[in-house]
Amino acid sequence: MAQAESSAATPFETDFWKDAKLRKVWDDIVPGEPRKTLPYLLTQDAIALYCRAVGETNPLYLDEAAAKAGPYGGLIAPPAIHILLMFACTPADDWMRSPGTVNAGQSWSYNIPARPGDTITLQARALDKFIKRERLFVVHDNVFFNQHGDVICSGRGQTIRPM
Amino acid sequence: MMTYANFETLKAGDTIDGPAFAVSRESIRLFCDASLDYNPLHLDDDYMKGDFGKTNFGGIIMHGMNNFGLISRMLTDWALPAGAIHRRLETRWLKPVKPGDTIRPAGTIKAKQTTAKSRWVLVDVAVQNQRGETVAAGEAMLEFPSAKAG
Repeated sequence: MAQAESSAATPFETDFWKDAKLRKVWDDIVPGEPRKTLPYLLTQDAIALYCRAVGETNPLYLDEAAAKAGPYGGLIAPPAIHILLMFACTPADDWMRSPGTVNAGQSWSYNIPARPGDTITLQARALDKFIKRERLFVVHDNVFFNQHGDVICSGRGQTIRPM
Repeated sequence: MMTYANFETLKAGDTIDGPAFAVSRESIRLFCDASLDYNPLHLDDDYMKGDFGKTNFGGIIMHGMNNFGLISRMLTDWALPAGAIHRRLETRWLKPVKPGDTIRPAGTIKAKQTTAKSRWVLVDVAVQNQRGETVAAGEAMLEFPSAKAG
């Protein structure tokens, strides 16, 4: 993986238990309060790995010469690259990493594609929280930007928090 | 046969087919590495023997966002050659997906809309497993920029 090239100084911690105690539980989460985020350098290696995981084969994401001749004039990332960016742009103590967090649904709007070499930033927060059928829900909203300040995509989702 | 992505000729009920995706422990692990989502839901069988409220999954489950990625792939593969743009995707997860399952996304054209500056197609999307159960469902919006707007 291309994590060494990430603008985040520390390598990505893949053991989500390690910082579990540092993360906010449902009770601590304040709707409206921004989440801490980190800029992330999106590499072609990271895009290629995402493509492999979901079977993306479009040359716009993978073949520089073909992409150059295409509608975007160069390589782009698939729209759903925000799946990676959500974890790449947040620190280890972010509550989205709490073990047992269950994704209950998401909606995303796409403006312009992310590109390899972009430094991506995230503005994110919990927007709402509620209890339904004895389950603890948090609504989160997120906007990803490139280094020019252009919106790449924006999204909203619901997770069921571990109890 | 899948419908060609042409705004003029598309009509409600037309279908879009996505390719089958074989889910395995390895595919889930690869998705962990690609997404950086290492939630133990997707990695740790011992952890998954426990209960989640009233739910017991019995073993690791696929990332819900893997469904999302497969639907998005289907839509872009369909739209891009026609110059159309994948603008929105909303999904919810209905059933867990487990190693050994084979899932397949599909879409059905729901409506067309022309706005002041562009043209839009709404698509109902779903992912089914090998038993024909719907594991994820939602709605997508694709933009077909009008030729005149160039």
